[in-house]
Amino acid sequence: MSRLVWTVALLLLSLNSNIGNARPVSYTGGLTLIEESDRQSTSVLVHFTPAHQGSIGLRGEHNRDQDYALYTLHPTWLAKRWFGTNHQGNLYLHGGVGVANGVNGNPLGEDLAAHGGVMADWETRSLFASYRSRYLDAGHFGNQFAHAARAGFAPYIGKTGDLHTWLMLEIDHRPSERISMTATPLIRFFKGPVLIEFGYTLSINQPLINFTYRL
Amino acid sequence: MKYVFLISAITLSLAIPPSAWSEDQSHNSEHHHQDAAASASRTTIPGAHDHQNHDGHPMEHSGNATGQDSHAALTRTDEIDRALTEGGTPIVADVLGVVCDFCAIAMNKIFGSRPEVAAVYVDLDTKALSLVLSPSSTLSDAEIANLAVQAGYRIAGIRRDEAALEIAL
Repeated sequence: MSRLVWTVALLLLSLNSNIGNARPVSYTGGLTLIEESDRQSTSVLVHFTPAHQGSIGLRGEHNRDQDYALYTLHPTWLAKRWFGTNHQGNLYLHGGVGVANGVNGNPLGEDLAAHGGVMADWETRSLFASYRSRYLDAGHFGNQFAHAARAGFAPYIGKTGDLHTWLMLEIDHRPSERISMTATPLIRFFKGPVLIEFGYTLSINQPLINFTYRL
Repeated sequence: MKYVFLISAITLSLAIPPSAWSEDQSHNSEHHHQDAAASASRTTIPGAHDHQNHDGHPMEHSGNATGQDSHAALTRTDEIDRALTEGGTPIVADVLGVVCDFCAIAMNKIFGSRPEVAAVYVDLDTKALSLVLSPSSTLSDAEIANLAVQAGYRIAGIRRDEAALEIAL
């Protein structure tokens, strides 16, 4: 896919703010589309799960602040899943290697890029907590560490196939940014294979929209 | 620094052990002691630890499979009732870790793709996987447990036939 098409697609999805949290590993043979918008960038990840311990995906990401796009091969390894009668916990390691390209007239051209980090979540049918971190080395476009934590609850418990609703708060910390910490209250709607999140990042006044579709 | 990180990321990409990716297939051929033909209609394993950790079996041990006072019965849906009417065999499996619709979708996809399965439903309330096998089809307990692993979950107990239709206290 050409850089222009990627850029247009990402810009269309670009409504800002936050590190989202969607299951990065599916069932064996599953295909998942994840769009995530954070305060700096918007990304699209399509991943395939060849076995239940991990997925492999293609990631496109547009950094709006610095005008570059990342294209990486994105593996995720489910390092550990904790099972309970009423809960599930997960620990994931994720990474990516690829290239960073300047966009919107950015003269920096192209460079190698890589990222890696950890994700963890724990949930019941009514409580949710997660943490996610990422270190990105985008070559001459710069490096960045970012991490975010979430907590949330479901105001009601739906049955299989119902519309499930979650209210969450996310705290995002990026030490290298001028406003290093932000808070985003958000609402998650979850029905069947579709998960959508709407939020608003208070300190920088930006909306959040995240979307996941699982085939 | 860039190249150190790049190498680390590649190492991470390759860190997924090949044995882990093929775990499911090995289970399918190794565990016949739970086979339907040999098992009782209800399989409940005493203890409270993960069997897979010491002998590779994908079924989770649990003194009470659901952790509740009773075991769930087969959830009745139109599809399940139709399959029962056609002479299918009812099975209920207690599943650990089922907390959301993505979990239910995973189980539906994995079990629904099997030709032996005439109907499938995951009930988030009871944490139970309800199956109806096609007439004359079989699916062993070990196969059910391994299919659950492929979906990303664990089976704590399996009940068949009459035991699957009634709530056990």
